[in-house]
Amino acid sequence: MDARPLMEARALVRRYRRFVALDGVDMRLSPGESVALLGPNGAGKTTLLELLAGVARPSEGTVTWNGDGAVRVGWVPQRPAVYQRLTARENLRLFAGLEGAEDPAAEAARLLERADLEAVAGRPAGSLSTGTLQRLNLAVALAGRPAALLLDEPTATLSPDQRLRLWEWLGDLRAADELALVFSTQSVQEAARHGDRMVVIARGRCAFAGGMPELMDRWGSRQDGADADERAFLRLVEGTPA
Amino acid sequence: MSGVLALFAKDLRLLVRAPLMLAVLVGYPLLVALLVAAALQGEDRRPVVALVSLDTPGRTVQVGDRRLSVDDYVDRLREEVDVERLPAGRARQELDAGRVAAVLTIPEGFIADLQSGVRQPTLELVTSRRSPIEGEAIQRRLESAVYRFNQGLAQGYVKQVLQLVDFIVNGGSIAVLGRQGDVVGLVRGRQLILDAQAQLRRQGDARLALRLEPLVTFIDETQNNLDLARPAATAISSPIRLTTREGARGREPLSAFGMAGALLVSLALAGVLLAAAGIASEREENTLVRLRRGLVPLPLVVLEKVLFSALACLVVGMVLLGAVAGLTDLAVGRWAAWPGVLLLAGAAFGAFGALVGSAARETRTALLAALMLSLPLVFVGLIPGDRIGVVADVVPFGPAFDVFRALLADPTLGSVRGPLVLLGVLAAALTALAAVVLRRRATA
Repeated sequence: MDARPLMEARALVRRYRRFVALDGVDMRLSPGESVALLGPNGAGKTTLLELLAGVARPSEGTVTWNGDGAVRVGWVPQRPAVYQRLTARENLRLFAGLEGAEDPAAEAARLLERADLEAVAGRPAGSLSTGTLQRLNLAVALAGRPAALLLDEPTATLSPDQRLRLWEWLGDLRAADELALVFSTQSVQEAARHGDRMVVIARGRCAFAGGMPELMDRWGSRQDGADADERAFLRLVEGTPA
Repeated sequence: MSGVLALFAKDLRLLVRAPLMLAVLVGYPLLVALLVAAALQGEDRRPVVALVSLDTPGRTVQVGDRRLSVDDYVDRLREEVDVERLPAGRARQELDAGRVAAVLTIPEGFIADLQSGVRQPTLELVTSRRSPIEGEAIQRRLESAVYRFNQGLAQGYVKQVLQLVDFIVNGGSIAVLGRQGDVVGLVRGRQLILDAQAQLRRQGDARLALRLEPLVTFIDETQNNLDLARPAATAISSPIRLTTREGARGREPLSAFGMAGALLVSLALAGVLLAAAGIASEREENTLVRLRRGLVPLPLVVLEKVLFSALACLVVGMVLLGAVAGLTDLAVGRWAAWPGVLLLAGAAFGAFGALVGSAARETRTALLAALMLSLPLVFVGLIPGDRIGVVADVVPFGPAFDVFRALLADPTLGSVRGPLVLLGVLAAALTALAAVVLRRRATA
């Protein structure tokens, strides 16, 4: 792991009145690293991503990006966050302008090309297919030329071919820009395939942090057969105290 | 602030792309303006003035070569306003009830004073205190009628005076202000005195002839002074004077009240619904999660919606006022004051809408809630009465209505300061409250 992390979160707690959504989570992210947040529904993955993205403030704990130096972070919420009646180009131009781009129109053109959205640049976002809309959602997050992307279940609503294309594109982005990723998912396979590390969140706590082999070593079983990774994950989650 | 401007431009673009919304936003106030125009185009177009004549009927006055009566004066007034002859008591009742816009009283002895040429006859105009702008308009019309009537009278008087001067100088038979007389004339009189002096001297009474000398001097000086009187006579201009005072408070006529009500209903709905829909659509489209990450803080998002509503209300309000001014006789006056007032009222309406929109999760819910909340409150704002007025004053509709009415009906603007301050306070308070609610709802 890099000696100086791109992001470091310490003892994060997030409460909604009496409900504790996140309870003392630590996490680190290195430049260019891909971390998968894995966990069942309601585990606290989205809450953790929102705290890392600065969408919400932690009740306790700290999030430090680049040692509090200037760094841009792209946020890709699970539900596309774009103006449905603006075209793809107008959305990109607007958010590029809000991100402080010197030439928002040129930045929008660059992002359209990068996200392979040129063919639909003049169409309202509301008329785009789910996969294309998710690409636009992701392209908007790239408008600030971020060092890291935080993605909340980016493939949850996509078909297998759309999922495949999205990961190919994200792989290209990582290779080209040394982009760090933190993505949440409910798929153990997706986490294992696209994350350099996994952080398993269960009941608001960090239940595991490491690679797939370590997870299998601790919670796997030889009798599990083809879905051994899923079963190991379930044992991990069910064994996490409330 | 650049983020606010970018969001403002985005909202403007979205509004232009929604032709139905735009049509409702501009078309509805225009429809209201046309309805107001249609209502004012009827019998109320010319103000009705009650005429109370206390002078003796049938009396006339000879001015120059014309014989004038009160009826001649009334006929002149009919060119400007609709005149309804009424007894004094009934005229007062009609003024209090708002059925006539003013009462014009011709006092007893009016024609006699006019005939005297010495006492200046005075008309009395009592206008409604509750419709001063209309009262001012009537006063201007009657002043115009009195001025033209005065001009006619003055010409007659001047002609008479010059004839009189001519007869005093040259002598002859003359009828002045109804009296017949035989004037010797200064020229002939001087000659008669000179002849008498000559005869006295011939008879050896030079002393008596000398005693007549001051008369000759007097005639010469009088002649010189009368030469100066000619231009002075032509300067006579105002034989009749009009005094005006405000009458007791009565019912407010429909025009100012209706216009202020039309403005309130159209602007309140436009401002409240625009802001409510704007905020709610940011939540519905999930864009707040991007904006609040330092791109545009939530209080500035609320502020942008409030400013957008304020500018929309300014445009819609000016269109409505322009339509009313162009299509009706109603004086909307004070064009310089309206933009600021419309902006402030629009901001207050927008802040109210932003508060409703912040509490709602969906645009449709926000619109429905905004409509259901604002409609009764708007109409409460229209109802006079202290108890209901308290309810109306904690939302912007009551103060806005008071300001609109004051701009339309209060020439001194003395009653506008309080509601304006209240509007500003409400706009700021509701904007702050909307920002708090939006923050709580967005993080819930």
